[in-house]
Amino acid sequence: MPYLGGEETVRELRRALSNPNVQSDPLRYRNTILKVIRTMSQGVDVSGLFSEMVKACATVDVVQKKLVYVFLCSYATLNPELSLLVINSLRKDCQDPNPMVRSLALRNMTNLRLPSLVEYVEQPLTAGLRDRAACVRRVAVLGWAKLHNLQPSSEIDAVVVNELYSLLRDPDPVVMVNCLRALEEILKEEGGVAINKPITHHLLNRLKECDIWGQCEVLRVLQRYRPQSEDELFDILSLLDSFLVSPHPPVMAATLSLFLSVSSSLPAVSLAALERVSGPLLAACGSGSREMRFAAVCHIQLLLRSVPGLLGVHYKRFFCGYAEPAYIKERKMQVLVELVNDENVAMILDELKGYCTDVNTDTAQAAISAIGRIGRSYSDRCLQILTGLLGLKQDHITSAVVQTMRDLVWVCPQCSDTVCLALEGCEETLQDIQGRQALLWLLGVYGERISSAPYTLEVLIDGVRSEASLGIKMELLTATMRLFLCRPAETQDMLGRLLHYCIEETTDMCMRDQALLYYRLLHCGIEETRKVLQGRRSDPSLGVLIGRPTKPVSQWARCFNTLEPLSQGAVEAESASRGNSSTDGLASSITAPLSLSLSPAVSPEDFEHLWLQRQALHTERECVRCPAVLHCSPQSLQAAMQLVNIQTLAFTPQHTLPWRVYLYTHTLSEDGQEEEEGIKVTLNQQPRDDDALRQFLTVLTTVLNTLSSEKD
Amino acid sequence: MIHSLFLINASGDIFLEKHWKSVVSRSVCDYFFEAQERATEPENVPPVIPTPHHYLISVLRHHIYFVAVIQSEVPPLFVIEFLHRVVDTFQDYFGVCTEAAIKDNVVVVYELLEEMLDNGFPLATESNILKELIKPPTILRTMVNTITGSTNVGEQLPTGQLSVVPWRRTGVKYTNNEAYFDVVEEIDAIIDKSGSTITAEIQGVIDACVKLTGMPDLTLSFMNPRLLDDVSFHPCVRFKRWEAERILSFIPPDGNFRLLSYHVSSQNLVAIPVYVKHNITFREGSSQGRFDLTLGPKQTMGKAVESVLVSSQLPRGVLNANLNPSQGTYTFDPVTKLLTWDVGKINPQKLPSLKGTMSLQAGASKPDENPTINIQFKIQQMAISGLKVNRLDMYGEKYKPFKGIKYMTKAGKFQAGLPDKWTLEYIKTELLHKEIRIN
Repeated sequence: MPYLGGEETVRELRRALSNPNVQSDPLRYRNTILKVIRTMSQGVDVSGLFSEMVKACATVDVVQKKLVYVFLCSYATLNPELSLLVINSLRKDCQDPNPMVRSLALRNMTNLRLPSLVEYVEQPLTAGLRDRAACVRRVAVLGWAKLHNLQPSSEIDAVVVNELYSLLRDPDPVVMVNCLRALEEILKEEGGVAINKPITHHLLNRLKECDIWGQCEVLRVLQRYRPQSEDELFDILSLLDSFLVSPHPPVMAATLSLFLSVSSSLPAVSLAALERVSGPLLAACGSGSREMRFAAVCHIQLLLRSVPGLLGVHYKRFFCGYAEPAYIKERKMQVLVELVNDENVAMILDELKGYCTDVNTDTAQAAISAIGRIGRSYSDRCLQILTGLLGLKQDHITSAVVQTMRDLVWVCPQCSDTVCLALEGCEETLQDIQGRQALLWLLGVYGERISSAPYTLEVLIDGVRSEASLGIKMELLTATMRLFLCRPAETQDMLGRLLHYCIEETTDMCMRDQALLYYRLLHCGIEETRKVLQGRRSDPSLGVLIGRPTKPVSQWARCFNTLEPLSQGAVEAESASRGNSSTDGLASSITAPLSLSLSPAVSPEDFEHLWLQRQALHTERECVRCPAVLHCSPQSLQAAMQLVNIQTLAFTPQHTLPWRVYLYTHTLSEDGQEEEEGIKVTLNQQPRDDDALRQFLTVLTTVLNTLSSEKD
Repeated sequence: MIHSLFLINASGDIFLEKHWKSVVSRSVCDYFFEAQERATEPENVPPVIPTPHHYLISVLRHHIYFVAVIQSEVPPLFVIEFLHRVVDTFQDYFGVCTEAAIKDNVVVVYELLEEMLDNGFPLATESNILKELIKPPTILRTMVNTITGSTNVGEQLPTGQLSVVPWRRTGVKYTNNEAYFDVVEEIDAIIDKSGSTITAEIQGVIDACVKLTGMPDLTLSFMNPRLLDDVSFHPCVRFKRWEAERILSFIPPDGNFRLLSYHVSSQNLVAIPVYVKHNITFREGSSQGRFDLTLGPKQTMGKAVESVLVSSQLPRGVLNANLNPSQGTYTFDPVTKLLTWDVGKINPQKLPSLKGTMSLQAGASKPDENPTINIQFKIQQMAISGLKVNRLDMYGEKYKPFKGIKYMTKAGKFQAGLPDKWTLEYIKTELLHKEIRIN
């Protein structure tokens, strides 16, 4: 019990320390000091022994010195006056013939962290910089950094800074690296140590001599250097190549970081570096240390943002080991989702299915939502697994599955039939709030296809008084309203009861307001209500887009090898913005003079059919002058097109020429085929209407112009 | 860089703290304890915990959390690697890295931490150099120190600090210059009842003991280097050279070290050194069962299979076994139903066998006839993968060293007998996980 009986121990130790018999016997003296340190390490406050310990400092025994220094450095800030006494013996030690004693004294002198002692320390430190033993120079160099930390406001002498710069050329590599570290700290205000061409080349040439820590440091500092010519750049890169595949992950990561920052203007070089580094990174993913594996997987996630196909063949390495901690499993599953392709999807889904029943509920839920993410591209297989999981009747699994289905349906509306079938009966197993909310949302939106929906809601409405969660009550209200619109006969009575409860009985303002809004809305008529509540569902045209857009390396290069990828939660936890709020519908008023509409949407197959059929009939070729939209991503194009109610059906991969985009809209069906430098638009129209055609082209040009101007 | 280090045990007590830049209050660990409480299992504590003013980066080893407190942006891999280095050093010094060992050697721990970091930057982390600065505690030295009053701090400036090769000290001198290499391979295999291999793989290491004067530069080449998959080297090995020529070229550290570890997968045709024939039958309704097991060598290149130990978990219904070994001794534990047979050396002329009857619990249903059989063995003078060292050359020094290479094969997880469906599934998943780990 370290915190109890502390005073007694301290008193005893003081008695022993001041006992002349103990002091005369070096062994007993040292053992007593040892006891003091032990007590200190147990958390007892032994600062009261400071004066006795200062006396013990005057000794020839190096171990005793070390022990006393440990003590002094911990408590010096509490006793600045008494610490002054120590300085004298420390300064004496700085003259000792043994370089180890010199370095020890110097180090502890700077570790005392007392601003009042700075003036006594400066002189030995200056001498230390010129000491012939490298280990003293190492300590002295860092000592200046410590002094600077102590008084950040006071300027360090320019002479010292110059001397530190010259010590960058010291024969000892550790002195060199320590110089870099010290200068970085001292010159923080000015942006760190000045990195010019000679210094860079000197550092690069000596990189091999440093230990791995030094290498990391040098590589990190060099990130600020910008090579003056391309030749120089490539010289540097080829010099660093061997470090890129270093067996030490920290060195490898630091090298890649440097690679990315110097070659930011040459994307091809960056990509080649990523490819080269994927081997060592994968090796780090299989390293014995959990923490290392975790860090490596997190960094791989960064890489995948730019080169999604990089590790496709190695997907098996991201299968989780049984005993791996949850945080690694979660990250590995995120990686697996990214790596899915036609060949491995079966294997990956099979593996993920195994994780869904993990004892750790977080892991299980993460696995289920991972399956949901894969479901955006392979919906049938995934829905089959998800439906199977519902059969387990496990509370947390069902909840995760329902939430995943909700998210999936939003992105892939074509899945809704399967989901509606699966939902029957799962309300009994659902316990937690999020799961029930998701179920309610689904019941509201797809109520007309779920036969039992009104009965499920009725049970909940009957029990609404005992419901604690506000979120569920709100969701219940909206869901009942929505269901009322499509199945009025079954829902009318319960909706009345619910509205009565919400308006008359509940005390929560938020809920009451919402209910009043709905109530008044109903007064306005059923059409008005429908317009608000069923305004915008998910957009069927979103369904074609699969996978995340690849991002340029420069977007994340800055945070490679930092804490950022490790600490940020799930990479961009996707929160699909569902049409939860009733105001959604009002936003989608159409501004184009030509009234285009999205519904009913065509499925890709139908479109293909129409397209082929009509191509033979009549084609209109127009050339629209428009700045190249070649570099705008399909996603932004799609979003823009959607604003003017044009459905984007398909496009060829981004870098193929000519890049084609197939568009469709309802009043007339069109199609665009775009090429570089001005866009060739091929239109298929039925029935033929020149006026509408012209207007459509105006709309299209406006959108494209807006897009390209955003790009600049 | 690294401000402070806290050592926390599984029950959440801070038992050691060390500060390099400024004293950070213990209360910063409260964030860690919170995360520890949230995690259902000790290893589920996330390695990076952000707090308002600091980052906590932790590493869990030997049931101790090593928590580094960081105040500014740092490369996480760097800190994690450093923390592991700290643990490795402790283990190297004290044999084990447990809370008790650290508490017993608290002074050495402080000395080590002081030398390993200065102002939060790594200073001396090579065990070679550290051992010269601070002598590791041994029983003998503790006794001598107690008697003579001398210290365990080196009085001399460690020469290695000036060496260009960080893992080797300068001025090494031996009267007998010798370099020994042990190639040790462990074979993991599952063999079905008919004797065909379901899966087999080899984990190998080459441990070295090098006692050479001066700064020798060694090259070691293999007859068949392509065999090796998934190799991991000691930092001294020049990787470029290995990539290009498949030759190990290195300046060795002084003393014992692990030169490389490797893995030979089943694609490379692993030869199975022993075979097992067994016949275990139970008749329905009878309280007797027959047991017959024979072992034999197979593809051992004429080398003897030694220290053979067979163990098998017999079905629960077996009450006792009355067996007759042709050599060695056997034991059967009626409580755990574990049968072990210490065979010794296999004589190819007279194959060892174990025959006899088992008595069953009356009225019990017919037990499973395919218990798995685990086998342990050793084969001296042979590496089962067929890996062979071709040459060992030394450059950079004049003298002629004494060189020796020893091979040895051991059984790792070696199972025979077709397991029932459940075990097969289990083993499959286990292997899959293992494969993933290895990959």
